[in-house]
Amino acid sequence: MKHNEILEKIAYCIEYGKIDRNSPFPPNLKGQDGAGEYTQMALEKGIRADDVLRMGLMQGMDRVGKKFRENKIFVPQVLMSAKAMNSSMEHLMPFFTSGEIRSKGKFIIGTVLGDLHDIGKNLVSMILKGNGWEVIDLGIDVSSEKFLDALKEHPDSVVGLSALLTTTMANMKETVEKIKDQNSETCVAIGGAPVTREFCDRIGADIYSPDPQGLVDYLNQRYNAG
Amino acid sequence: MNKKQQFEDLANNRNSLAGNLFSPILMHFAARHSGKTYAEFASNYKILVEANIRAMEDFDMDMVSLISDPYRETAAFGAKIEFPAEAVPKCMNKVIGSPDDIRSLAVPDVYRNERTLDRIRGAEEYSRILKGEVPVIGWIEGPLAEACDLAGVSEMLMMLMMDPGSSNLLLDKCTEMAKSFALAQVRAGCDIIGMGDAVCSQVDPDTYGSFVKDRQREIISFVHGLGARVKLHICGDITHLLPQIRETGADIVDIDWQVSPKKAAAALGHETILCGNINPVLIQDKTEEDVYGLTGKFIQEHKDIKLIVSAGCEITVNTPAANLKAMSGAVRDQW
Repeated sequence: MKHNEILEKIAYCIEYGKIDRNSPFPPNLKGQDGAGEYTQMALEKGIRADDVLRMGLMQGMDRVGKKFRENKIFVPQVLMSAKAMNSSMEHLMPFFTSGEIRSKGKFIIGTVLGDLHDIGKNLVSMILKGNGWEVIDLGIDVSSEKFLDALKEHPDSVVGLSALLTTTMANMKETVEKIKDQNSETCVAIGGAPVTREFCDRIGADIYSPDPQGLVDYLNQRYNAG
Repeated sequence: MNKKQQFEDLANNRNSLAGNLFSPILMHFAARHSGKTYAEFASNYKILVEANIRAMEDFDMDMVSLISDPYRETAAFGAKIEFPAEAVPKCMNKVIGSPDDIRSLAVPDVYRNERTLDRIRGAEEYSRILKGEVPVIGWIEGPLAEACDLAGVSEMLMMLMMDPGSSNLLLDKCTEMAKSFALAQVRAGCDIIGMGDAVCSQVDPDTYGSFVKDRQREIISFVHGLGARVKLHICGDITHLLPQIRETGADIVDIDWQVSPKKAAAALGHETILCGNINPVLIQDKTEEDVYGLTGKFIQEHKDIKLIVSAGCEITVNTPAANLKAMSGAVRDQW
């Protein structure tokens, strides 16, 4: 198999959520190799890890993000794609550790104080990872102080705040204000079902996107990291 | 004509009504409005009933409800629930962690668990106080929502893709539980059963059709057999599911603010009552005058739809009481 064919196989497996040979999903690929095996094959064939990331994993997740934005796929399919991506990523982790692959940047993410929902946050995390960002996931019910502590540890990070409840949007506002007070240059992204562009502008956040791909596009443009 | 007769007229297309009914979803807001914490509201039926009746009177609402949080059935299945004073109750553990857990999961007796029994007692309390003159909405978790409560949202949604057999088994048990809980609430006096299947908006039409729709239809048909009606509540944008939701036979469909009422009415048929769908953030954040205006405009724009006026989802705790009064006033002024 040619190098570009292997990379396309990786992208395809991620796009359709094929984790590995043992995974029964999707049914039409049952018994066939998945993202994990093709990633291993790519590295064994001498394809540079950075190329595997950019031309395999990122290609696949880019397609996933666009299909999700267009309502061609929904959350279960994105979760399966993320699992397939993780299967590939396991093979690439040593190259991140050695510095052979560099991430596009760091992204601190969490669901704001009082909000226990994690599905939106997780989707954004998965799609950002698949697009080459290092994600620092603070979890759910995250206080402003915890976001600020994480920023002290990772000072150049972008920060993403998620809220599913209308009631917790007030906590989002407070956290954005505290982050901006500490460093007005920090880029803050917000998202979640009740959040709107108008709300984003009102509380001084930098970007609101109704879908993860919009955030990816914004970050790629802002940080010239496409 | 009392409120129950008004609702029956709306449901049966009788012409005695010259306007819309008003029935927003209240939980934390109702608790605070009556000076109680959310924890008290969610754990004590007397407080829940008293808070809802007070809200009905203060905001001239046309129905009362037993909705409080998603974890009544989950508690009965064995989860530990904690009640923070001013936040939604928290589920502290996942009941389902493996296919073996699903196989051994027993459908509980709703009369033997404190949380499910509390809601049944609430239905009885409403009957005692309101004497059947106001429609009482009971509440159950829909099959997919309950499965997610038991297994975790991400875990359940991936199980649907990876292990249809286990998914079906769990969904069957959740369906059985929903029917059992609905039966108890109808027997206790509920006229309508609200079925919250919040997560459905996040799944594609094929997955909804394969795993959820027939189970919702089974529950709805069962409730109809008991002589009650069903209000289906799915949070978020359900536009992609509307043609299939029609097949469930739900009498009332809640539509969140992202859904076009005109598209929903066209897809669901004009017999279905829509309940919605003003953005709750606007009701919370706008001025009293603005809320009055946007509610009136909303009613004018949807005069040809069988509608119960409500927010797209729950009225938030921070909504000024004056704004909810303005919303109610706009509904009445359209009569």
